[in-house]
Amino acid sequence: MTIRICHFPRLVTALVFAGLLVGTLVVGSAQAFERAGEKFILVFGGRQPVPLLDPSQKYDWSTRMMQQAMYDALVKYENDPPVIKPWLAESWDVSDDAKVWTFHLAKNAKFHNGDPVNAEAVRFSFERTLKINKGPAWMLSDFLKPEGVKVVDEHTVRFELSEPFAPFLSFLPWWYVMNPAQVMAHQEGDDMGQKWMTDNEAGSGPFKIKRWEQGVLYELEAVPDYWKGWPQKKPLAGVIYKLIREAASQKAALQKGEADIVEGLSPEDFDIVAKLPGIKVENHAGMTTFGIKFNVSQPPMDDINLRKAVAHAFDYEAFLKIYNGNAKLQTSPFPFATQGHIDVPNFPRRDMAKAKAYLAKSKYPNGGIELEYVYVQGLEEERKMGLVLIDNLKPLNIGIKMVPLTWPNMKARGSKMETSPNMLAIFATPVATDPDAVAFQYHKDSWGKYYGTHYYSNEEVWGLIEKARKSSSWDERAPIYAEIQKKITDDQPEIFGMLANRRWAMRDYVKGFKFSPVRFTGEVDLYSLEIGK
Amino acid sequence: MALFVIKRVALLGLMLIGLILIMFTISHVAPGDPAGVAAGPDATAEMIEVIRKEYGLDKPLPMQFWIYLGDVFQGDLGRSIRTTHDVTDDLLRYFPATFELVGVAMLIAIFFGVPLGMLAAVFRDKGADHAIRFVSVSSVALPMFWLGLLLQLFVSLKLGWLPLGGQIGLMTERPEPITHLLLVDSLLRGQFETFREAFAHVILPAIALSAPALAAIIRVNRAEMIEVLHQDFIVTARAHGISSFRIVAIYALRNAMIPTLAMIGLRFGWMLGGTVLVEGVFDWPGVGLYAVQSAVNSDFQPVMGATLLIGFSFMLANFAIDIAYGWLDPRLREAG
Amino acid sequence: MSAASHPPVSPWRQALAAWRLRHHSKLRTMRLYAFTFSRSLSSMIGLGLVLLFFFLVLAGPWIVPYPEDATGSVNLDIKLQPPSAEHWFGTDEVGNDIYTRVVLGTQVSFQIGLIVVSIAMILGIPLGIIAGLSGGWLREVIMRVTDVFLSVPGLVLSLAIVAVLGPGILNAIFALALVWWPGYVRLIESKALSLKSEPFVDAARAVGAGMPRIIFFHILPNCVSPIVVKGSMDMGLAILAAASLGFIGLGAQPPHPEWGAMISIGRNYLPDFWWYSTFPGIAIYLTVLGFNLLGDGLRDILDPKTRSR
Repeated sequence: MTIRICHFPRLVTALVFAGLLVGTLVVGSAQAFERAGEKFILVFGGRQPVPLLDPSQKYDWSTRMMQQAMYDALVKYENDPPVIKPWLAESWDVSDDAKVWTFHLAKNAKFHNGDPVNAEAVRFSFERTLKINKGPAWMLSDFLKPEGVKVVDEHTVRFELSEPFAPFLSFLPWWYVMNPAQVMAHQEGDDMGQKWMTDNEAGSGPFKIKRWEQGVLYELEAVPDYWKGWPQKKPLAGVIYKLIREAASQKAALQKGEADIVEGLSPEDFDIVAKLPGIKVENHAGMTTFGIKFNVSQPPMDDINLRKAVAHAFDYEAFLKIYNGNAKLQTSPFPFATQGHIDVPNFPRRDMAKAKAYLAKSKYPNGGIELEYVYVQGLEEERKMGLVLIDNLKPLNIGIKMVPLTWPNMKARGSKMETSPNMLAIFATPVATDPDAVAFQYHKDSWGKYYGTHYYSNEEVWGLIEKARKSSSWDERAPIYAEIQKKITDDQPEIFGMLANRRWAMRDYVKGFKFSPVRFTGEVDLYSLEIGK
Repeated sequence: MALFVIKRVALLGLMLIGLILIMFTISHVAPGDPAGVAAGPDATAEMIEVIRKEYGLDKPLPMQFWIYLGDVFQGDLGRSIRTTHDVTDDLLRYFPATFELVGVAMLIAIFFGVPLGMLAAVFRDKGADHAIRFVSVSSVALPMFWLGLLLQLFVSLKLGWLPLGGQIGLMTERPEPITHLLLVDSLLRGQFETFREAFAHVILPAIALSAPALAAIIRVNRAEMIEVLHQDFIVTARAHGISSFRIVAIYALRNAMIPTLAMIGLRFGWMLGGTVLVEGVFDWPGVGLYAVQSAVNSDFQPVMGATLLIGFSFMLANFAIDIAYGWLDPRLREAG
Repeated sequence: MSAASHPPVSPWRQALAAWRLRHHSKLRTMRLYAFTFSRSLSSMIGLGLVLLFFFLVLAGPWIVPYPEDATGSVNLDIKLQPPSAEHWFGTDEVGNDIYTRVVLGTQVSFQIGLIVVSIAMILGIPLGIIAGLSGGWLREVIMRVTDVFLSVPGLVLSLAIVAVLGPGILNAIFALALVWWPGYVRLIESKALSLKSEPFVDAARAVGAGMPRIIFFHILPNCVSPIVVKGSMDMGLAILAAASLGFIGLGAQPPHPEWGAMISIGRNYLPDFWWYSTFPGIAIYLTVLGFNLLGDGLRDILDPKTRSR
């Protein structure tokens, strides 16, 4: 090909020119953005979406953060250690047998559309959650039937439980109250408004929906005349929960001030951003325990000596290293913030001599077995623990097969005694500070649930658990729970791991952050926040 | 011609049913328990049963397929078991963003691919040809997601020129929808600042997505151009003293456009597939990200829906090209 | 290099000489191929890269400094160290040597690539031949099924399959193989269709050659070139696809050192620990580049008609 080529530079020039044009058009568009008017809008950069807002249908940390912002419950958890504060209910009485609970409602509470929050709304909300039988329904469904909720008068509601249940109150903060008129106006078929409530709210809380763009962002607008008032001098104009799914993007957004709070960074990243100017990291001990559940119903883990050998070979210090020191090792099956927690004596720690001694007593004195370690696909820390296990159990000649499963598949595996894996990595946050919320995970009725994949079986412990939940006197309950903690530790149904600190990185002008360990990892109470620039 | 079109439409329908059958077969050998997930972490057995009934998971398989097939043709792709949203609603919400991303990526690929292909042909076996060949082979070999990360790292984080991710800034109100395409709508509404912002957001993901198509377009153009340059009319034109720039830019380019168009149709589908990698990196709220998020959570209905949508778009694109070709070239009608 | 000119002639040398004589023209063609190939710089680069990575596949465990780091070991005290003399590519989030894991990752990737391409060939070539030679409704069925599979981008379909089966290396291989075979059906079908009416096939049939003979002596040998070219390209693309699944989190699982998964995990540590996802990315790039250049070069010599397409 011998074409003269003198004109070709023209083409190249055109290309370059076009490139430059595009460049000048867009470069410099990455600017800090505005706040709304006089007041500020807080931007929360989170990874987890809120696909289903309905408080009767779902809860997880991001969902509940939004629910807590838009709805009120009879009572509310606040502070560390958590206390139950009166909210829609100003006061309450309980019968001596812990079966009848009467709540007196605040008289000035109103829903976002102006309707009053009355006893009928409370009754309706409990009935709706129980009937839909999803989300938080399990917490009370064994004790409370829809007929058990009685409207006494406009501002008094009474719960008549089918059995005594001392921890009743401690579950109520997650039972949000919705406006029956709004919900039923959007009923489709007999769905009790489930479809509509997915992306809409009918609450009385401090915020209401402004924009709800699934998969992108959720914007809340503060209710200026919130019935309970605002604790801060200059409340927020609103909150944007922006989905930022990548750590690098979260960090960059925080640095540029495009996001004011971010969650879910890696331990390393938290340490890095904490050193940056203008950024602070809130760091608190949470209530979420990490444990590796054995399936004690099937060989080889039905062998207590093998379980103890594994538990003593495990390097607990690795937890601290993985979290760069921002974690606390468990000293009991119960989290520290749980009422009645004790430090169980001789709690297992790494001791290879003991591990080998236990192994020698087991049916597998020379190891030579491979154990399956199942964890949630994509959960970084659980994956690291698996690598630690492989490393730690090599000296015992025990192999580990790491099997990541999606959460549904993992739950499906764990739901049957025969298929529940040898070891299952579980982060569990108790939904209440009452010890029953943790102790009951070791009861037979928890078998097959994700926290009951150990199929732990000890009639004596079960008896104690049942006895303790029926008593309304704490003095009576406390020693029983101490006994339960010791006995469970002794049976070693799992490797009792650690409680990782909850961390959020935020701009230093974010004020009024209130931590409460009973909230989920990542969940923030938006009500008290302000921007103090 | 009418017969040809009818035949093609029938084939299209048949292929769609085939695709639905494949997807259905795949999704129903699943070991997971979708009802269990939907019920939430602490659900009791009866709560799970409630949900199983609600989603029709308790019926026999052929029945479920029949129902699903009927639903699909009525535009009902089922519900996400994780979020309870209608999959069709979700897909309609996310598809415009994906379409826009793919569109811009395609424009980038054409904009750079055609001239580069021409240059390579003209400088055949010279330095420029080798350089362009290297670029084109490289853009196939670069993992799209990694290219995306590199672009983020350098262009966004180091240089700070372009945003890291997302489709638009946080505080920017979206324009009133007309076409639901952000770039188009903001122009139609005269909101140029919004347009500029949206454009800044789309560049990096579009570049990452365009890489393989760029390679293909370069190659096709180079090959066609080499062939065209040897044809009689070009030789004649040159003999008449028409400048080589004009020859290439006008006559030869025109002749090379048809195979390029065919390539674009083919690449359109591939690019839709590429969105499952690129959208995740750039937080692009489109169908690809939706499919991945659902896949990772074993939420099958959305994965099936997204796959069907992508497959169907791909079929439609090829269908359109078939028709166009049949129209251009009567011989194909006989064969088809 | 004429063996026959030396006085002491061993029997096998004689045999060799005879063999050479018999295959004289083939050998000449081969030499021509080799010459053409070696003249092309990009082909040689491709060959070099592919050979280098094959070397790493075979020799990997002996040349890496910390082989145990690829089988699940933990050194939390040295996690996320930047590249240094001890750790050329730095260390990852549990203190494993990234250089070791990248080198040993070649095994995982090549294994996936080879298995996927082999399965695709084993399924696709016979089906293609059947479709091409039989015609009629059988061809119609095979080709329509092929079309349906090809109507969805392979990555999306394999994503759906793995989503259902669960993540893991075997499931990823299965899913990729399931979306890969239709390409071979199309390729071989069109080739077989055109060969069917070639005079030499007609002639063979006329002298009474059976179907198997026609397939093995006339059809298949003429399909070798395009298969080799496509096979080489596909090795690269299959490795890329497997890495993509790994990146999404649905491919090979830890402690397997898989490149896509490494990038995916490393992404959480960007930009401060940039080395983590950088080096596996380079490895993918070079591997796929190698196979593509090699495939290109092979096409240029084996299949000159489609050259530069």
